[in-house]
Amino acid sequence: MTTGSLVVADLVIAVLATAGWLGGGAASAARRRRLALGLAVGALLATVARAVTITALARAGWWFAAEKVLVAAPLSLAGVLVAGPRLLRPRGDIRSAAVPLLFAGYAGSGALLVTVLHGYPVSAGAGLLAVAGVVTATAVSWRALDARPSRGLSRAALVVAVAALLTGTGLAVAPGAAPAVHDHDYREARAVGEPTRRFTLTAGTATVRVGGRDAAAWAFNAQVPGPELTATVGDVLAVTLRNRDIGRGVTLHWHGYDVPNGQDGVPGVTQAAVLPGQEFVYRFRADQAGTYWYHTHAVSDVGVRMGLYGVLVVRPAPVTGVDVTVPVHTLAGRALPTPRTEPVEAGVPVRLRLVNTDSTTHRYALAGTPFRVAAIDGSDLRGPTPLVDTAVLIPAGGRYDLVFTAPATPVALFVDGRAVWSTGAVSTATGGWPSLEPLSYGVAAAVPWARFDKEFTLVLDRGLDLRGLLPRYAHTVNGAADPDIPPQLVRRGDVVRFRIVNRSLVVHPWHLHGHHVLVLSRNGAPATGSPLWLDSFDVRPGDVWEVAFAADNPGVWANHCHNLPHADAGMTLHLMYG
Amino acid sequence: MRKALVVVTLVSLVAFALQFVFAAVGAFTKPASEGAYALHSVTGMAVIPVLILLTTLFAVLAKAPGRLIGLAILPLGLVVLQALIAMLANASTDTAGASTPFGLAIGGLHALNGIIAVHVVVSVHQAARRLADPTPAGASAVVGEREPA
Repeated sequence: MTTGSLVVADLVIAVLATAGWLGGGAASAARRRRLALGLAVGALLATVARAVTITALARAGWWFAAEKVLVAAPLSLAGVLVAGPRLLRPRGDIRSAAVPLLFAGYAGSGALLVTVLHGYPVSAGAGLLAVAGVVTATAVSWRALDARPSRGLSRAALVVAVAALLTGTGLAVAPGAAPAVHDHDYREARAVGEPTRRFTLTAGTATVRVGGRDAAAWAFNAQVPGPELTATVGDVLAVTLRNRDIGRGVTLHWHGYDVPNGQDGVPGVTQAAVLPGQEFVYRFRADQAGTYWYHTHAVSDVGVRMGLYGVLVVRPAPVTGVDVTVPVHTLAGRALPTPRTEPVEAGVPVRLRLVNTDSTTHRYALAGTPFRVAAIDGSDLRGPTPLVDTAVLIPAGGRYDLVFTAPATPVALFVDGRAVWSTGAVSTATGGWPSLEPLSYGVAAAVPWARFDKEFTLVLDRGLDLRGLLPRYAHTVNGAADPDIPPQLVRRGDVVRFRIVNRSLVVHPWHLHGHHVLVLSRNGAPATGSPLWLDSFDVRPGDVWEVAFAADNPGVWANHCHNLPHADAGMTLHLMYG
Repeated sequence: MRKALVVVTLVSLVAFALQFVFAAVGAFTKPASEGAYALHSVTGMAVIPVLILLTTLFAVLAKAPGRLIGLAILPLGLVVLQALIAMLANASTDTAGASTPFGLAIGGLHALNGIIAVHVVVSVHQAARRLADPTPAGASAVVGEREPA
């Protein structure tokens, strides 16, 4: 069982246990003896089962089990200790079991709310608030059921509830870590020489044709995707960005291209957003060959979804053979690019540059020929072997280059079952194909570092964020949401290892700006294939990734989830050079 | 206070009816997107819980019997469960993010739980009206036609 499904199973069992106790309490209040006993026994069994799931989660990593061990377990234990003895004495008025059973139910609910609304890391504040809630709810039920507790007990409950509420609130609202300090003295581009490739991208609202229909879009040069920017290694690019009428501003972020910080295009961090009528010139040397893409980083969730993106391809030498880019996107609910068929002569080398510009993973399947994955995220793989009938899963923002020699028979590329590029008619069902496991693909090489100077752990979760104007159910990193996540501080020359743990129920495609990270291990299993230098990778529910990078590109860099609605909802932090 | 209880239960009932309307808005919005369910989410996670808490508070203040108070607070548990079901259903996808039969089965429970919650709210409303106007059972038809104050 994967850790991801354990997290789900544990949640479901916790809900069942809580519902059982509460239902049992209500049934005994209504003097339905058999129903009450049945529900309570079910709840007891579920609570015991939870001991198993919590233990398994703790073994998978403390991050997955922390609040369950420290908050849920004591509360559940208290519930069982109070309600259990009543079940062993089934004689007498069943109504007297109502309060103990309800107490167990409130304890379960409190623990559940701590897991769902607070998560990791555990805080005494959240635990105490849960205790206050449980005691209050029990006291109120006790009175409502007309089985009034003794004076002493009433007072004790009142004191406990008030003390827990006050301490809990105090701890919860106490100022946490200092908010991130952003670098606002936008760095000058370092001298990169005279531009050899010049482009102008004008952002504006536009109506574009997609899937046979007109759709309202935000576009570069009135087209979606924007113009394909190409260069050869050694070129100096100068890209002029103009904003015609995008009121919320635009920027250009070179996704996966490790440009100097001032060219990275993150509004409020490396530059100010380019507002209507303004322009900004990006200059950088094309010294990394490979498949990349560019997109706006201002209101990036809406901006990218509406069409402000395009492909950047840097080739080591002039094109030989067929070189096709396939930027996959969903615009106004319709899939791009428009399917294309081009015959290719047998024997011609073909390179398909697959780009996922959406916020969720896509599945790409190449039918009709063996192929190799030559590069991932722009970096060439070492010793890729031929693959047949295998799909590749590309995370949000990720790129895979597939290469093959055109056979005499037709070849087709399917994205989520839809043919997007082909050399002729192919009718292969690709839905059942296995997916490539990149961590064991290709030939291994030694990790280039012997030691790590800095270590960070990012625990991804969801939680209630009360620091803003309106409360929101944020996507969190280490229990905080942007802009309250403390920045990661490194020094130039550090080798940094960081671990990303996904405690949540959804995939988080992780993206660090300005650096490529080398994958060390996933879920404790070391990467055994070609070195993987990634800038976008899917951290699935229950996953623990360990990656490392050399801090060799000074500045302030966004480090965020590339499911852009998640980034918008708090899952963004910054890497800062000190 | 008893009349206030009747009013707040009626408002809850309207909010629940609107919640079904907002679910339909989400389902029929083209192109499909998570944002289409914004109204449904806000109503379900903010408006309805507040109304349930108000109902419970009014029931306590109106010195309603324990059964009615229990019935008034019950939808809160169902609403929390409802949000959890939605989260689990959204999370149960395959590796490429497409829905799975298991996820859809969980999603189906979201609809069933919604129906149960509405029935509970209807019962609360009826009990509140009986409490506000304890007419003998034989005259219930007359009670049914009267507008709550």
